[in-house]
Amino acid sequence: MLDDLFFRLRCLFRRKAVESEMEDELRFHYEHQLEKYLQAGMSRNQALRQVRMGFGGIAQVKEDCRDARGVSVVETLAQDLRYAWRMLLKSPGFAAAALFTLALGIGANTAIFSVVYAILLEPLPFRDASHLAVLNETTPRVGNVSVSYPNFQDWRAQSRTFSEMAAVGSVQFNLAGISQPESIGGLAVSPNFLSMAGVRPAIGRGFTPGEEKAGAAPVLLLSYTLWQSHFGGDRGAIGQTIRLDSRTFTIVGVLPPDFRWVEKWDVMEPMGVWATNNSAAAERGSRGDLVVVGRLAANATIEQARKEMEAIAARLARAYPGANDQCGVNLQPLREVFSGDVRPAMLVLMGAAIFVLLVACANVANLFLMRGAVRAREMALRIAIGASRGRIVRQVLTESFLVALLGGLAGVGLAIALIPAIARLIPTDRLAGASVGMNGAVLLFSAVLVALSIFVFGLAPALNSISANVQSELKDGGKTIGGSGRNGWRGLLATSEVALALILLTGAGLMMKSLYRLLSVDSGFRAERVLKLEMSLRTAQYDKDVAVIGFCQQVLDRVRALPGVESAALGTDIPLTDSHSRTDITVEGMPLPKPGSYPHPDTHIVSPDYERTLGIRVLRGRAFTDADRENAPRVAMVNATVTQRLFPGTDPVGKRFTFGRLGGARTPKWVTIVGVVADTKMYGLANPTRLEVYVPFRQSTSNEMVLLVKLRTEPTALVSAIRGIVASIDKEQPIFGVATMQEVVNASVSTRRITLILLGLFSGLALALASIGIYGVLAYSVTQRAREIGIRMALGAQRGDVLRLVLAQGARISVAGIVIGSAASLGLTRLMAKLLYSVSAVDPATFAIVAFVLALIAMVASYIPARGTLRVDPLIALRHE
Amino acid sequence: MNDRIELPQGTLDLLILRTLALEPQHGWGISERVQQMSSDVLRIQQGSLYPALHRLERRGWIKAHWGTSDNNRRAKYYELSRSGRQQLATEKDSWQKLTAAVAQVLGPT
Repeated sequence: MLDDLFFRLRCLFRRKAVESEMEDELRFHYEHQLEKYLQAGMSRNQALRQVRMGFGGIAQVKEDCRDARGVSVVETLAQDLRYAWRMLLKSPGFAAAALFTLALGIGANTAIFSVVYAILLEPLPFRDASHLAVLNETTPRVGNVSVSYPNFQDWRAQSRTFSEMAAVGSVQFNLAGISQPESIGGLAVSPNFLSMAGVRPAIGRGFTPGEEKAGAAPVLLLSYTLWQSHFGGDRGAIGQTIRLDSRTFTIVGVLPPDFRWVEKWDVMEPMGVWATNNSAAAERGSRGDLVVVGRLAANATIEQARKEMEAIAARLARAYPGANDQCGVNLQPLREVFSGDVRPAMLVLMGAAIFVLLVACANVANLFLMRGAVRAREMALRIAIGASRGRIVRQVLTESFLVALLGGLAGVGLAIALIPAIARLIPTDRLAGASVGMNGAVLLFSAVLVALSIFVFGLAPALNSISANVQSELKDGGKTIGGSGRNGWRGLLATSEVALALILLTGAGLMMKSLYRLLSVDSGFRAERVLKLEMSLRTAQYDKDVAVIGFCQQVLDRVRALPGVESAALGTDIPLTDSHSRTDITVEGMPLPKPGSYPHPDTHIVSPDYERTLGIRVLRGRAFTDADRENAPRVAMVNATVTQRLFPGTDPVGKRFTFGRLGGARTPKWVTIVGVVADTKMYGLANPTRLEVYVPFRQSTSNEMVLLVKLRTEPTALVSAIRGIVASIDKEQPIFGVATMQEVVNASVSTRRITLILLGLFSGLALALASIGIYGVLAYSVTQRAREIGIRMALGAQRGDVLRLVLAQGARISVAGIVIGSAASLGLTRLMAKLLYSVSAVDPATFAIVAFVLALIAMVASYIPARGTLRVDPLIALRHE
Repeated sequence: MNDRIELPQGTLDLLILRTLALEPQHGWGISERVQQMSSDVLRIQQGSLYPALHRLERRGWIKAHWGTSDNNRRAKYYELSRSGRQQLATEKDSWQKLTAAVAQVLGPT
């Protein structure tokens, strides 16, 4: 056995020596035999002939010897690879076209997959993350809402399908005293959260059970990033204190670098510390920013958990009708929550990228077939002198392998260059802390693609290479016969390219129409030249309303005085961002509904000029003025939807309502409606308008305000001046979330925009490749049919007839492709219905336009080679025989 | 010349091993010797001789070394290895059984 191995290895590594030994051995025999015949009295010529006949084909004998030695598999592979490499070098045009096409296909796929992997597939940094679920409360009117803390405590006490539950709240802190004041995100978690998720702090400790109760000493865990940026990664940070919102926290630990959460966060506090400062913690009806994370018990499925939780929620709704009327519960696997709403877009893009690769493969297969036709004589000759058909197939497949491998390498290189650009297109809040980049999994995916593409584009040329009729190839040089089979393959490939390109174009067309429709939606406000800056007044001095009002008024007065400012205003919420605070209201005189059915508008606290700064139209009555002060009569503005729903057919101006549900002994504080403003899209352009109520900031304060500034010039110029004003009023007050309203609009459609950009790129690529495909097939067919064309013309066909002949071939390909592609699109575009807005997935106009455009381009791609027939000179074409 | 017959499958290896059992020999020598020993009835085609030699060498039944031939030329000599000797015995035995059995079936003529 070992001998055998050594023998083979020697043959493999000392190939040259072994070859020359074989040469010597055979020559020795040859000469001896010759001598023998000569001695026997044959003439020299006769002897030579006898010897040769005895040997048969010397090359054949050698090949048989190589086979007998048994190294031939490796050896022929190496030989084939060398040969393939030489063939590629010999036809640089073919090589460049094939490699470039494949590199584009594989590059696009690799780049998209790196995003898909980061967002949808990369394992979450939690133990057994598939058993973790996120729970929300639901109301029929809003859908998913946050969980009230008392409800969470009841859930945890009653659930059996969850072995553990923890509340996770998102909180905001102002971090001051280190450098520039900044606003950082934080998580408030039940102390068991980390152990439930299987996360251990990188240094320091986690939270203790005692830290769940209100009144716990303020302790904090830092994110690895914050520890690095603010403490230089110093282990001495444990035990140090840090000031957040002018409260002192002791740092007890640092979380590991790979820990990430759905929201961006930098510090983590235990629930007890959160509850100490949060009166809402004890209110069952208050739903702030909490979600619940649960670990499913070992034997429980998410469906069982859903059933059980629904039952618990129903019990709680009966027990606390005031707070929980009609409240349900929603469960989602943690993975889905992390992936967010980009999942459908990612899947559509991945599918599109694979289509591009298929088109690329079809094109490369066509290139191979075309070259195969040129080399048909070579192949026929090889078969004639004894090469087995299997050997030929292996040779052709090796060439495909080499092209796929090189194309794959180039594609990965391309992807490495593209990934940062694609990653930049994705808003960071959609990534949930995931990092997009090249890694082992992505490389593995590319390798699989390379292997699959060999199969896709290598098969047809390989099968075709042996289907040639040896006799006719050698006799006629393949001029007349043998072309039809190959043309069949090529036509089929070009047809599928057209079909695939059509599917992609249709997708891009639908997406484009959606985005256009979406951006033409009347948002109700004007984004031009408006800047937004966020502030959160969190220090103790702002516990009093008068301090908040004082701060706001100062900021407004001084910003309005800046040169270039047209108007400035404050508001708790801005359009398209889905930030809101909602309360029930009771309209004076209305019949009292069930607790869960009160009108539930969003309440926005705004300063005068809010509607002017955002360009929101006042439809009736008046907007707020400086006269709507603390002691003035309480007033409000409502949007048009409130008018339609709550005051149908009447003028709401002058009508009164009160916040909360009417009842009990207390006398309601009536609020008089003084104006009606146009509906604005507060939750995104695609979402329906809700009930909105605006109240003046002096009558109902909020510590979290967005400063809106309308400028006469370009918005960003004044940011530092505004920062200076705020710092001079309160030097510890951070300003964050600085952006123009145009950026806010763009961000609100970012997923659709990215999808459109990439889908557009992909379909453009596919279209270009498909046109090249059609062009190639026809151009080749024209050269192949030169003789036929010559004969036709010699027999009196007009040039126009001949032109039509070729154009008809092109038309057959494109029409078949368009029909097949349209049929496939009908099925496939449904998969992207979630991404579309006010466009049907089978929108006839889009389908028609795309088919028309494709037909037009196919015509052009056919016309160019068809014109080549006009250059055929019948005399030359015929004389060529 | 017409007395020559085609070698049945598998007999070539046996003939080579048998020839080499006498003395180490080069390829040409083996074919000459077989022809001689069979009174010119068996003639080995070079096209099958050399692949067979390489195959036997790979199996370790014969060993090759370069030596000098009678007329002073470099030649590749093959000799039987220990396992080749065993193989020869086995093949010879089964060949004899086969021919005896075939003869018995054909019966006296």
